[in-house]
Amino acid sequence: MTMAWYECDEKYLPAHYQPALLLDLLLARDISSHKVLRGTGLFYEDILAGQQKLSQLQLKQLIANGDKLVAEGDLSFRWGDNLWPGHYGAGSQLLSNAPDLGCALQALVRYRRFLSPLLAPRVFEDEHYCYVQWLDTCGLQEQHRFMVETAMMALTSMSRWLAQQNLPWRYGFSYPRPAADEQYQVHFGSQLQFGLGVDVMVIEKSWLQAAWPRGSVTGFQAAWQEAGVLRDDYASDGFTEAVYQWLIAHISDAVTLPDVAAVFGMSPATFKRKLKKHQSHFQQLQDQARMHVSLYLLHVRDFNNEQVAHYLHFNDTTNFRRAFKRWTGLTPSDVRQQFRFAGS
Amino acid sequence: MLQTLRLHRHKLLLIFGLAFLSLAASIWIGDAKTWAEIDWLDVLGEGGSAVAIAVWMVLILGSRPAGRVTDLLTLGLGFMFIAMWQDNLDEFIRLPAEQWWDHWLESGAMPFGIALLTYGLFHWHGEQLSINRQLQKRESLFREHRYIDGLTQLGRADYLKQQLQRQLAASVGKPLTLVMLETDHFAGVARAIGHREADRLLREIAEILLLNMRPQDVICRYAGERFALVMPDTDAEQALQLVQELRLAVQHFAFKTGQPAQTLYQRILAGLCTARPGEEAAELIARANDALLQAHDGRGCYQAA
Repeated sequence: MTMAWYECDEKYLPAHYQPALLLDLLLARDISSHKVLRGTGLFYEDILAGQQKLSQLQLKQLIANGDKLVAEGDLSFRWGDNLWPGHYGAGSQLLSNAPDLGCALQALVRYRRFLSPLLAPRVFEDEHYCYVQWLDTCGLQEQHRFMVETAMMALTSMSRWLAQQNLPWRYGFSYPRPAADEQYQVHFGSQLQFGLGVDVMVIEKSWLQAAWPRGSVTGFQAAWQEAGVLRDDYASDGFTEAVYQWLIAHISDAVTLPDVAAVFGMSPATFKRKLKKHQSHFQQLQDQARMHVSLYLLHVRDFNNEQVAHYLHFNDTTNFRRAFKRWTGLTPSDVRQQFRFAGS
Repeated sequence: MLQTLRLHRHKLLLIFGLAFLSLAASIWIGDAKTWAEIDWLDVLGEGGSAVAIAVWMVLILGSRPAGRVTDLLTLGLGFMFIAMWQDNLDEFIRLPAEQWWDHWLESGAMPFGIALLTYGLFHWHGEQLSINRQLQKRESLFREHRYIDGLTQLGRADYLKQQLQRQLAASVGKPLTLVMLETDHFAGVARAIGHREADRLLREIAEILLLNMRPQDVICRYAGERFALVMPDTDAEQALQLVQELRLAVQHFAFKTGQPAQTLYQRILAGLCTARPGEEAAELIARANDALLQAHDGRGCYQAA
C-alpha cells in the first residue's frame, strides 16, 4: 500500500471557500482587511478575484489574526455556524443533499480536505454510539481550541439545519473548561465534558439513519456516483493525520520511527524533518494514538487496566498506568471515575 | 479616530497655527542661545508638559462629537499648550526685552486656558450625568468598556458576572431575579436570512428589550442569541409579569429583511430564577440557564424553583 498525503504549505484551498466566509465575518465587524490578512501573504483583491489558493499554514495565520482581533470570543462559533454545507464543490453538494446523518458524515470524511481542512473528522461506531473525533492535520497549537469550536459548531449547526431539529449531541473536549464558557453553553448545551484528552462528538446510532426532510436519497447518490467517476487525484490526509491513522491501524504492534518512515517511503531523518515541519514529533503522535485508543477502551469498551495494557503491548499494568498518567495527567482509575461518557 | 478629528479641523488649525506663528516670530526677532545657556531640565519639564497637553487635546477631540463641551475642553487645553510651548521656546531663543507679546502668551494664555478648561469640565459633568441616564439600563453600578459587546453595545458575559456579584452584595435581604432570554429558532432564521441580517435582527431585538424594560434593570448579551436580564429588588412573581411584557413586545416586532423583502416575527423564550440567600453569581447564572433549557421544552417561559 502506498501512502498519500498533503503537506501544510501546499496551496490548494480556494480562498473564496471557507476563508472568504471568515473574512466576511470579520469585515462585518468593521475590521480592516489589511489587519485581517497581515502575515498571510494574501491580498483582498486576489481573494475577490476568486483565483487565490491557500495552504493550511496561511489559513492558520488568518485564524490567528481573526482570533486576536475579535474580543467577544465568538468568531469560531459564528464561522462554524455558517460553514456547512457551504459552496465548496462536490463535498458541499453531497452535504446539502444528504438524506440522513450517516450519509452526511460519510461525505464529510470523504471530502474532509476541502470541507474541514485543518481538523479532520474521524468517524467510528460501536454497538450503541457513533463517535466523531476531530484530528489536527497540520499542527494547530494555539489555534487548536478555535478550530475545535469551529468544527463542532459546524457539525452541530448543519445537522440541526438539515434535520430541522436539535440533535442530542454530546461533546468531549481535550482541553480544560475555558474560564469563559458561555459560548459553549449557548451553542452546545449542557452535555459537555472537558479535559477528556480527546475532541469528540457522540450521538446514539439510531440518529444516523433518521431521515432528514431537506435531504434527497437520489440527489445524494447521484452526486456520490458522479464524484466517484471523476476519480479524486488528490490525497485526503494531511501529513500528521496520515501518520496518526497508520499508527491507530497498527496500535497493537510494536512500532518504531524507522518502521513508519519506511512505510511513508522516506529515510528516518526526512521523516523527522517532515513531522517537525508540521509542529509535531513521532513520540507525540504515538502517545496521542495510544491515549485515544486507551480512552476509548476504558470509557466505551469498559476494559480494565490489564486488558488495555495487553491490547497496547505494555509489559505490565504498572507501565501502562505510568504512561497513561504521563499522557493525560490522570491515572486510568481517576479517569474512569471522573467521566462516564458513553453508557451514562 | 481620524474621521472624528476631521470634524474639529478648524480648532486644531487655530491652536497649531498660533503655535507655529509664535515659533516663526521668535526665530525672526530673537537670537539663539548657546548650548551652555540652555537649561535642559526646564526643556524636559516644559517641553514634556506641552507635548502631553497636545496629546490630551487630540485624544479628547478624537473621541468626542463636535459640540459646546468639546469646544471648551479643546480651547482650554489648546491655550495651556500654547503657554507651555512659548515657555519652552524661551529656553532656546532669547527675545529682546522690549517684546511684550511673548510674555503675554506665556503668562496670559495659561490662566485663560485653565479657566476655559474648568468651565468645560463643569459642563462635561452635566453632560455625563445625562449620558449616564441614557446608559442606565446597560450599566447600573459600574462601567467597563473592555466588556462591551461590539454588536449590541451591551455588556458581555464577563460584565454580567461582575454586575451580578455587585448587585447581590448590594441587595442582601432583598429578592433579586435573573432572567435568561433567547430568541426561539434563531439558528434557522439566521440560516435563512444570512449572517449580516441575523446580526441586525439581534441588534434590533436588543433595542426592543431595552425600550421595554424598567430603568433599574440591566441587560447584557450573554452569548449568541441569549440575553441576560438582572432585576434587582424583584421577586419571581413581579419578574414573571415583566418578562411576559417583554415577550409580547418582541412578538409584535415586525422585522423587515432586505433581499428578499419579507417580514419576520420572533418569539422569545425565558428562564427565570430568584437568587437564594448567599448565592454566588456563577451559581445563579447556571440555574437561570437550566431554567431556560426547561423553557425550550415547553416553548415559553420557565421559572426555576
